[in-house]
Amino acid sequence: MSTSFYTPIEDIPQIHKRAHDAYRSGKLKSIAYRKEQIAQLGYLLKDNEQRFCDALKLDLGRPVQDTIFFDFAAVYVEVKMAYDNIEKWTRSQRAEFSFNFFAMGPRLRSEPKGVILGIAPFNVPVFMLLSPLAGAIAGGNAMVLKPSEQTPATAQLLAELIPKYLDRDLFHVINGGVPETTKVLELKWDHILYTGNGRVGRIVARAAAEHLTPLTLELGGKNPVVVDPKCDVQMAARRILWGRVSNAGQICLSPEYVLVPEHFQDKFVEALQEVYKSFYPDGPRNSDSYCRIVSEAHTKRIKNLIDQTKGTIVFGGDADIAERYIAPTVMRDVRLDDPLMGEEVFGPVLSIVPVKDVDEAINIINERDHPLAVYVFSQDKAFLNKVFDNTESGSAIANETVISCGVPGIPMGGLGESGYGYYTGKHMFDEFTHIRVSLNNPGWVDKIAFGFRFPPYKPEGEKQLRALSSSLPPRPTSKQQAVNGKRWGLWLAVLLAGASWTVLTEPGRALVKQLKF
Amino acid sequence: MSTLTYTAVEDIPKVHATARKAFDSGKTKSLTFRKEQIAQLGYLIKDNADRLREALHADLGRPYEETDMLDFGPAFGQIKLAYESVEKWNKPQSVDFSLNWFPMRPKMFPEPKGVALLIAPFNIPIFLLFGPLTSAIAAGNAAVLKPSEQTPATSQLLAELLPKYLDPELYHIVNGGVPETTRLLELQWDHILYTGNGRVARIVAAAAAKHLTPLTLELGGKNPVVLDPKVDIKMAAKRILWGRFSNSGQICVCPEYVLVPAHFQDTFVDAIKETYQSFFPEGPENSKSFARIVTEAHAARIKRLLDETKGKIVVGGQTDVSKRYIAPTVVRDVTGDDSLMSEEIFGPVLAIVPVKDVDEAISFIRARDYPLAVYVFSHDKKFQRKVFENTKSGAAVVNETVVNAGVPSLPVGGIGPSGTGYYSGKHAFEQFSHYRTTLNNPGWVDTLIFNFRYPPFKPSYRKYTAALFGNLPPRPGQKPSFAKRWGFWIVFALVGASSVLLTKQGRLLSLTQLKGLIRA
Repeated sequence: MSTSFYTPIEDIPQIHKRAHDAYRSGKLKSIAYRKEQIAQLGYLLKDNEQRFCDALKLDLGRPVQDTIFFDFAAVYVEVKMAYDNIEKWTRSQRAEFSFNFFAMGPRLRSEPKGVILGIAPFNVPVFMLLSPLAGAIAGGNAMVLKPSEQTPATAQLLAELIPKYLDRDLFHVINGGVPETTKVLELKWDHILYTGNGRVGRIVARAAAEHLTPLTLELGGKNPVVVDPKCDVQMAARRILWGRVSNAGQICLSPEYVLVPEHFQDKFVEALQEVYKSFYPDGPRNSDSYCRIVSEAHTKRIKNLIDQTKGTIVFGGDADIAERYIAPTVMRDVRLDDPLMGEEVFGPVLSIVPVKDVDEAINIINERDHPLAVYVFSQDKAFLNKVFDNTESGSAIANETVISCGVPGIPMGGLGESGYGYYTGKHMFDEFTHIRVSLNNPGWVDKIAFGFRFPPYKPEGEKQLRALSSSLPPRPTSKQQAVNGKRWGLWLAVLLAGASWTVLTEPGRALVKQLKF
Repeated sequence: MSTLTYTAVEDIPKVHATARKAFDSGKTKSLTFRKEQIAQLGYLIKDNADRLREALHADLGRPYEETDMLDFGPAFGQIKLAYESVEKWNKPQSVDFSLNWFPMRPKMFPEPKGVALLIAPFNIPIFLLFGPLTSAIAAGNAAVLKPSEQTPATSQLLAELLPKYLDPELYHIVNGGVPETTRLLELQWDHILYTGNGRVARIVAAAAAKHLTPLTLELGGKNPVVLDPKVDIKMAAKRILWGRFSNSGQICVCPEYVLVPAHFQDTFVDAIKETYQSFFPEGPENSKSFARIVTEAHAARIKRLLDETKGKIVVGGQTDVSKRYIAPTVVRDVTGDDSLMSEEIFGPVLAIVPVKDVDEAISFIRARDYPLAVYVFSHDKKFQRKVFENTKSGAAVVNETVVNAGVPSLPVGGIGPSGTGYYSGKHAFEQFSHYRTTLNNPGWVDTLIFNFRYPPFKPSYRKYTAALFGNLPPRPGQKPSFAKRWGFWIVFALVGASSVLLTKQGRLLSLTQLKGLIRA
């Protein structure tokens, strides 16, 4: 693999500084400018769709359609959403009404964090960089992108196009491998978004800790599918297999294993076989609808897992390392201690794990790290709820796989080993912004309510404070109701006192004049 | 000083395991249970208010009134807000209508992260523990609390009271110093909230990194005040001094220094002196309205900063380290390189830094770490906006200090070195929740639209994706074009309608669809 397109390490601090200076220049304060940049991002992709398809064909042996579906579509959705909602998202908002504080006009507004670093993996390289970039721009941030070195053609194309379409000072691409990424992580960023695996996630988090940099981590996990024997098995088989073989299984939301009742395994396998034939009538190897693995190393790793499994191959199983080919494979009778159930396969191999019942399925999920998604195929609400209520995961999806990350408005995000923070839409915007609060307290508020706070403290001050303090909810053990009214009584008294003071005294009248009531 | 019983280091993993087990039992799933626990937290404070005031008086020499103002008031505010909002906050949220996706009914709903670790500092020990705890309970988490060992009386009392009022399996207090905290940080938590300083925060963050634990960090910073010479100067002096001297300046949102136009310094200093006189008519040392510094070490540190300053003391300046006393002090003519500007003072010393104009004030703030708050005293909207738009900070507050942290519905949160994430209300609730997304895709959606995704891919693939997702904003510099997408849907509907009417398959399909829709 050529490394000639790598960013020279000594240039990295300068790029960081350029982005930082450009951010500080304040040019992204203009919402119109942000919108223009977001639209440009869309056209960067639109104008160069063919080149991206070609690059991804080179990098991943990927069918054009997978690129359109997983990379382009989701970016277009993001671009449109950020463009259409930016005014709404950035508008200053009034805080929830609170009687004691409303006079101060408390407000909240989302302000940019500064310069964002985005590190993306190889599997969906355009979406994983450009969709967060749309959120970062909407938030008013500068951003430096680090594409994966494992997709060199795409990485180079991004490095070529970003400066052509977007502001050259604010947005940058850094290409490279471990030494370049290490250098990048030494610098101080205002937010880091890392998408990848838990091992590198820990390195990134450790580096971020040095600078107290907030993080969004999108990691992987082995996503389980729980199949209810009463479900529409054809539909289940089709959607599960599709999720597993798309992009040759290299999607963080891909279903990795299916928990089926023992008695139902045969039937489920039959349905899978049928779907398999319909997907690849002439076999997957020559199909123009099937992707390759990113590198020979990964192909070897997946082949090893297939070689070591004690499960039974239903179909597939063949591999060609030189061509980075792993056939779409389904294994049945896979046990929990099987090599296929160890690490994330991240390839087109689906394991079927027979279980006694849904309770055993739930236990299996709970004994493992929290996955990014739990999938359930069932028409029965009680069944769905039982699985979802008793497991934890980034998302809880019924009768579908993978596409949840493309649905506008719902975020994508893990928990535990599958990461934290959210991708897409308003949630991505929130990751990249800080909610700055504000209030403006007029002088007269001290005169009528908050004057008691100043030393020397007087006994009546304590009473006033207690009255201002929130009343407590009723005590759980007793049946006594909360005593309301007290507080209103105080305000009434304050109001009366204020009014009489205004009317009766000289300084009161002066104050009224000053306030120009 | 009262003694604090430290938790045995070897018991700490057991505490962690108990909390985890209790969380796994699922008893926090009930919103009624959460509300009950939140209310109990309120009564823990209310029933024991006098003991808590005493404890804080012992620990910080703090006037009772300040405990009411800084600890009880904000805690009650959080408790009330969370109690009343638990149902609302925990409701599933549907998303904006989208033609392509609505049949799948995408939603998200908050779920508890699990077991949270809350580490609080000495300065506002009740609110800074129970505020976040309220949010953690509202979100359905178990929690382990680590109060500061620097407030032994309060921490001891909290350890005594918490198990009496709250579920003793779910909620725990671990007391101790560095070894105990180190042990806590080795364990795996589902969220860590740390309030304190940047040095320890780096240790906490490094420990969290090992377990990929998400963090909320509430740190400090030197909060500046920018003074407009046209402001009501008495009001400004009063509110600034109050913010600086409350709790003896040991509040993370305290104003630390004031940027005033050089020509206005004298006027401001006069107003300060007048206010000072009104606050402490018999001098601060004997005043019942002034707190002490938490430890002799901190008192000595602040004294050193005062000894080294090149500024001129306007009021105060007296210290008695053995009594942990630092007089409320104002120092004028302080420059950017002064000892008082070198670190967060976190004591009752206000530095006045004369500047040429508001632009110099802005540059001065921009050259330093982002603070938790920027305060502006001005009646001029333009002046306020100029300062806020050209600086960054957790909060941007006009004509007030400190109070912003007590507004229940306003999140408290820093940026950069002043921290990350939010305290208070809904925002803190979100920190302790994971928004789990969900959808349920009926089978007929494939038949109707999404079948194109399955291999073998057909030439029509692109038409579908273009119609479903291809809608971009107008190219900058060009006029928008509409209709394309609607055109597709109209054709689509027509084709659908004719297939329903004309074919047997269509009629069958429409039945299934209807069923699906009815179910939806």
